[in-house]
Amino acid sequence: MKQVININFQGRVVPIETTAFEILKNYTDSLSRHFANEEGKEEIINDIESRIGELFQERLTKGATCITDDDVNAIINSIGRPEDFEPMDDAQPTAAASSSYQQQANTTATGHKRLYRNENDKVLGGVCSGLANYFNIDVVIARIIFVVLLFSGVGFLTYIIMWIAVPSTASAEIGGTRKKLFRDPDEKMIAGVCSGIGNYFGINPWIPRVLFLLPFLSFLSRWGHWGGFWDFGDVIRFTFSPTSLIVYIILWIVIPEALTTSEKLEMKGEKVDMHSIKNSVMEEMKGVGKKATNFGKEASGIINEKAKMVAGDVQNFNRRSRGGIGNVIAMIAKIFAYFIIGCVCFGLVMGLFGLGIFSIGVFPLKDYILKGAWQNFYAWGTLVLFIAVPIIGIITWLIRKIAKMRSNSKILRLTFGSLWTLGWVCIIMLIATVTRDFRTSSRLDEQPVALTNPQVNKLVVTSSLPFTKKYYGRSWIRFEPFENLIDDDTAYVRNVYVQIAKSPNDSFQVTMKKTSRGYDKKDANSLASLINFNVTQKDSILLLDKGIAINKTDKFRNQMVIITVLVPVGKQIRINKGIGWPVHFGGGNWDRDWDDNDYYDSEEDIRWQSDVDYVMKADGLYTMDGRKADGWNDKAAKKQRNNSRTYRYNAIEDSLQRRQDSIDNRKQQKLDSIDRRLQQQKDSIERHLENEKNKIENGNTFVPNAETLDLTANIMPGVMILPNTN
Amino acid sequence: MNIDNTASQMRKGVLEFCILSVIKQGEAYPSDIIDKMKAANFNLLEGTLYPLLTRLKNAEFLTYRWVESNSGPPRKYFSLTEKGADFYKELEATWNELSNAVKAVTDIDASNNLNNNNNFNNP
Repeated sequence: MKQVININFQGRVVPIETTAFEILKNYTDSLSRHFANEEGKEEIINDIESRIGELFQERLTKGATCITDDDVNAIINSIGRPEDFEPMDDAQPTAAASSSYQQQANTTATGHKRLYRNENDKVLGGVCSGLANYFNIDVVIARIIFVVLLFSGVGFLTYIIMWIAVPSTASAEIGGTRKKLFRDPDEKMIAGVCSGIGNYFGINPWIPRVLFLLPFLSFLSRWGHWGGFWDFGDVIRFTFSPTSLIVYIILWIVIPEALTTSEKLEMKGEKVDMHSIKNSVMEEMKGVGKKATNFGKEASGIINEKAKMVAGDVQNFNRRSRGGIGNVIAMIAKIFAYFIIGCVCFGLVMGLFGLGIFSIGVFPLKDYILKGAWQNFYAWGTLVLFIAVPIIGIITWLIRKIAKMRSNSKILRLTFGSLWTLGWVCIIMLIATVTRDFRTSSRLDEQPVALTNPQVNKLVVTSSLPFTKKYYGRSWIRFEPFENLIDDDTAYVRNVYVQIAKSPNDSFQVTMKKTSRGYDKKDANSLASLINFNVTQKDSILLLDKGIAINKTDKFRNQMVIITVLVPVGKQIRINKGIGWPVHFGGGNWDRDWDDNDYYDSEEDIRWQSDVDYVMKADGLYTMDGRKADGWNDKAAKKQRNNSRTYRYNAIEDSLQRRQDSIDNRKQQKLDSIDRRLQQQKDSIERHLENEKNKIENGNTFVPNAETLDLTANIMPGVMILPNTN
Repeated sequence: MNIDNTASQMRKGVLEFCILSVIKQGEAYPSDIIDKMKAANFNLLEGTLYPLLTRLKNAEFLTYRWVESNSGPPRKYFSLTEKGADFYKELEATWNELSNAVKAVTDIDASNNLNNNNNFNNP
């Protein structure tokens, strides 16, 4: 008992058995695949179909009630299967019979080669020999390239993708019953990719599922164990590994879903039609191409043309030279051209990928910047449409290019194009709206900071908490979230700038200027006044907060604190490492808003270096060894000191110099004190003599005693000490 | 070396010549061509013929007209163009040369003797 359906075939109604229809459909599909690259494909197929229609009509007029399997098979036999067709192309006759098949398989009527995996010469999946055949290079070279790539990790993935995406030569062979890769809609979790892969390789669908989840899980545990690589650990732990997700989406697009019963049977590797085994043969691997066709974006014109141009040049060159060397050069040129194209594509994908990972890393911090639903929407749009869409698009296109799938892929091109355009809109709107929120800067006056003891000789500026953590460069875009410091709603921005200036009097003075940007002046001023930044003095130490707290309500608007330390002449200052950044106004790249402050205008640009002791002199800041303070030179000096050899040498020299200085000082002091004492004693002796003289003159007798004679002895020990100091 | 492959290469070379020859005799419908070829013991699949006809037509060697048929869709009847006729003449000349040459070469005994004698006589 068989079901009969009516079909409209070439304008005639034809009653046909369902099984016969399935055979017919497979046959016409195999024809359209066979003639896919033939010029006038539509016409040829149409001609053949009208011939089939004619033969059907013949049977029906002879009294048949419907078209049966046998009828269809007979017609197919008379017209011939694609594999029986005589090659129509201008392919050069090959010398070796074994390679003639490859030639046939790889060359279509219009002279375009198609990439197949070579089943006749394979180690694993025949990818390398297929590629070698395609590029006319030795298999060994292709294999070596792949093995080299394998070590870098790229090769493995590429090989697997090509194994799946590139059709096998067996797809054109007679009797090559092979499974087809379909997505399985019956056992699906998301889109049936994993269960389809399981079916294809004859394994439990949970194996590919675990393989897909594994990178995801390891990603999680990595974050968990390391506690955050970028200090974003807590937030990013809830995101996912992008790699396996992207691979999944690509497979989702590339692999067709098994919709009909025959496709489901093909997926499981069973023969499509028990009654006509032969007819199911030609369907091998058609699915990948066809499905991607539906989504498919055709080659972006420029690269395609360029590649053709290069290939054409190479061919011309090849023809001209003809010699063995010419072939070698042409081959190298070919490989080189493809290599460059590949590198460009790879670089593009990797760049976007990096951008994607960076964005995902920064993404949890968006709440500190973005205000309102629209900005959040734009941020998501940028992430998904601007970054993820082209990655998927380029990879899909590459696979399609490699597998030589050609079709009218307007839908895919349009989809990707419009999605990416939307992505552009999102990123432009995001930047525009965020810039608008940053456009005005605050104008708050500088505030003096009360110091408990402004008379100290040396002021060391340091942070209130020791810096055990690494922190980043002086870019406002970098955040330093210190987890558990206040709470999850607060991030710290290291936006503290320290400036050194000369104090007008003999005491240290510290001033603080809070600035912020905002949507308008009011907004900016209120944000600036909300900055809570503590500066306290403990003896000779000036403690600063290590960062400005930013919370999610007030948002990050490049809040900034500028601490100015006014150093009196003759006193020292040292700024420890990790405290703010030097302010340099010389470059002119600073906000003009600061220019209205007469203080900065009048003052000379003082450059300083962290962890260096400075002393303020009348004409500016100097290092302890007398060099004028200059950020760059200080650095050089520091480097020199840090260099071990010169350090030792310098240290010895320094200590000698210091010792010499101190000797000189003490000598001078001693000499001074001796002078003073001599003078005193001289004075006292003179006074004494005067007294005695007066006494004598007054009639008293004077006898010089031992005390007066011993005067020199009292002086001499002081002089004698000097040699000992050496 | 594979006998099927070599044989198909041989057939391929003469296929176009034979088809053009059949069409030259008068307007022909593809199954007429198949039948005539079959009658001459030259088996040809329609799947091979149709693309070949399309290519010849695209090369402007053939032209066709639609003829209504009472048993099925309208049929294409092919005929030779002027360009096609010239092309056929060239092919014919080539074929005659080739077939003579093949005949001469494949007549092994005769050619061997001839060659040997020639070599012997002309040192």
